[in-house]
Amino acid sequence: MMTEIKNNVAFDSRKQPEEITKRDVTKTYLRWHFANEIPHSFERYLAPSLLWAMRPILRKLYKDDDALRAAYERQLLFFNTQLTWGGGIITGLMASMEQERAREEYNGEEIKMTDDLMYNTKAGLMGALAGIGDSIDSGTIQYIFIAIAIPWAQNGSSLGALFPFIFFATYQVLIGLFFARQGFTTGRNATTLMQSAGIQNVIELLSILGLFMMGILAGNYVKVSSSLEFSISGRPFNVQETLDSILPGVLPLTVVLGIYWYYTKKGLKVTQALLWLTLILAVLAAIGIL
Amino acid sequence: METLSLWQSLIIALWVAAVMSRSLLGGATLTLRFSPLMTGLIVGIVMGDVPGAMVITAAIQLIYMGVFSPGGTMPSEPSIAAAIAVPVALLGDLEPGAAIAVAVPVGLLGSYLYQFRFFINTFIGKWTDKAVEKLDDGGIFRTVILYPTLASFLLFVPLVFIALYWGAPVIADVIEMLEGTVALHILDVVGGGLAAIGIATTIYVIGRREYIIFFLLAFFMSVIFADLNITMVTYAILGTLIAAMFVLVKSNNKGVTTGSTNADFDDDDDF
Repeated sequence: MMTEIKNNVAFDSRKQPEEITKRDVTKTYLRWHFANEIPHSFERYLAPSLLWAMRPILRKLYKDDDALRAAYERQLLFFNTQLTWGGGIITGLMASMEQERAREEYNGEEIKMTDDLMYNTKAGLMGALAGIGDSIDSGTIQYIFIAIAIPWAQNGSSLGALFPFIFFATYQVLIGLFFARQGFTTGRNATTLMQSAGIQNVIELLSILGLFMMGILAGNYVKVSSSLEFSISGRPFNVQETLDSILPGVLPLTVVLGIYWYYTKKGLKVTQALLWLTLILAVLAAIGIL
Repeated sequence: METLSLWQSLIIALWVAAVMSRSLLGGATLTLRFSPLMTGLIVGIVMGDVPGAMVITAAIQLIYMGVFSPGGTMPSEPSIAAAIAVPVALLGDLEPGAAIAVAVPVGLLGSYLYQFRFFINTFIGKWTDKAVEKLDDGGIFRTVILYPTLASFLLFVPLVFIALYWGAPVIADVIEMLEGTVALHILDVVGGGLAAIGIATTIYVIGRREYIIFFLLAFFMSVIFADLNITMVTYAILGTLIAAMFVLVKSNNKGVTTGSTNADFDDDDDF
């Protein structure tokens, strides 16, 4: 029986951290996936979800009340990221970092896995991964499924709603679990995972596919046409037919590229762009040009 | 003029609350909230007209095409918009284009409600601190999951219920009065152009300016092949192949990758 006191933690085998298994990581991610946006607040954003997700792992690691409370507080600091890319990698990463920290505390070693190191890792990754995750998951993959299903919805089929929902929701759970496991096994080297050629190629492929699908959507679903007709020296002249004979789709394309140009000049001001576009289209429609 | 029954209004209100509280299957609510499709389907089931509801919902989906929330702020709430606009359009037997006129303002109001939810949760968060202090795991569950969910239901159910039960017939009447006027031509034009917002937003957020080539390529493909009725699935496969070719050529040109191991995307995982 050891009775040596180090770091004010009694060094006895009853307080030994339990092993964190792959199942624990899966469970932690699924808890995060469920809690994700439920307690979203202005103060800490998604931190309570991360704490609730990590709680069973923290219970297994810290058998000392003060150490456990400190760990709870560590995972309740400001946190905001995207569900799967950010949430997946960071839950896996935090599990492996907390495991290392618990081991250091139990063995009475010098603490290398400091609070600062843990929080900086979390803070450093959460924004970058949210950017990638949002544009790939919500912005690209979700809309690829929706784009495929829209024609079914237009024909009155319930498949138009069920297909994108089921496929996208399933995709998100799977990709999130994948990232959580990767985050756990790579430990502190999560940045190398994100910089690996494989992941970079996948991101590039999805970005291109996203732009491609947006082009298809713009061609099929942006409906802007001129209703202007007048007669020149007795012959009827239809503006839209003339435009179609020069460059089909020129008006929808002008509108999309116009908004894109607006963003490059003013930054991503979606609501402003929405109001301007509504106003311009409404005026042009009222005076009979569109 | 038909109206919604008390039960129909209540079921739709409960569905919206379940989605907006983000507690219905957790992360799965992301697409339930961003897309009006599932909410439209639920409305169709409740009102006994799934085909009619899906047609209207498809029109609403088009104006929210490509919209998502980079960084968490949404200009509009498509699910709430569909919950009000689809019943109104079905009751008033309106054109899908007219449903958009209802959806847009409702969606904007909905986004304020969603912001208000963060405000409520900020106060509930104070109790989370107390539970952590006491290491009270039950308290953590209640303050992180249970209370925010209940608060959302208390916020969304009454408002959506009132809007449907008393508001929907009134809105439908107003829109019907506008039919045949220039106002509806304006709505049609605006509705037809709004899909451009989401598309342009997505192009901007993906953020690789030189890749706009792929957008232009696809745009002209879809215009040229419009008469061939190529499905979206076919286009998605084509797009994947074009993207894969590009990535392949590019990574072959790079020669040796910079020191990073070429980890395959799905090694050592076991779904």
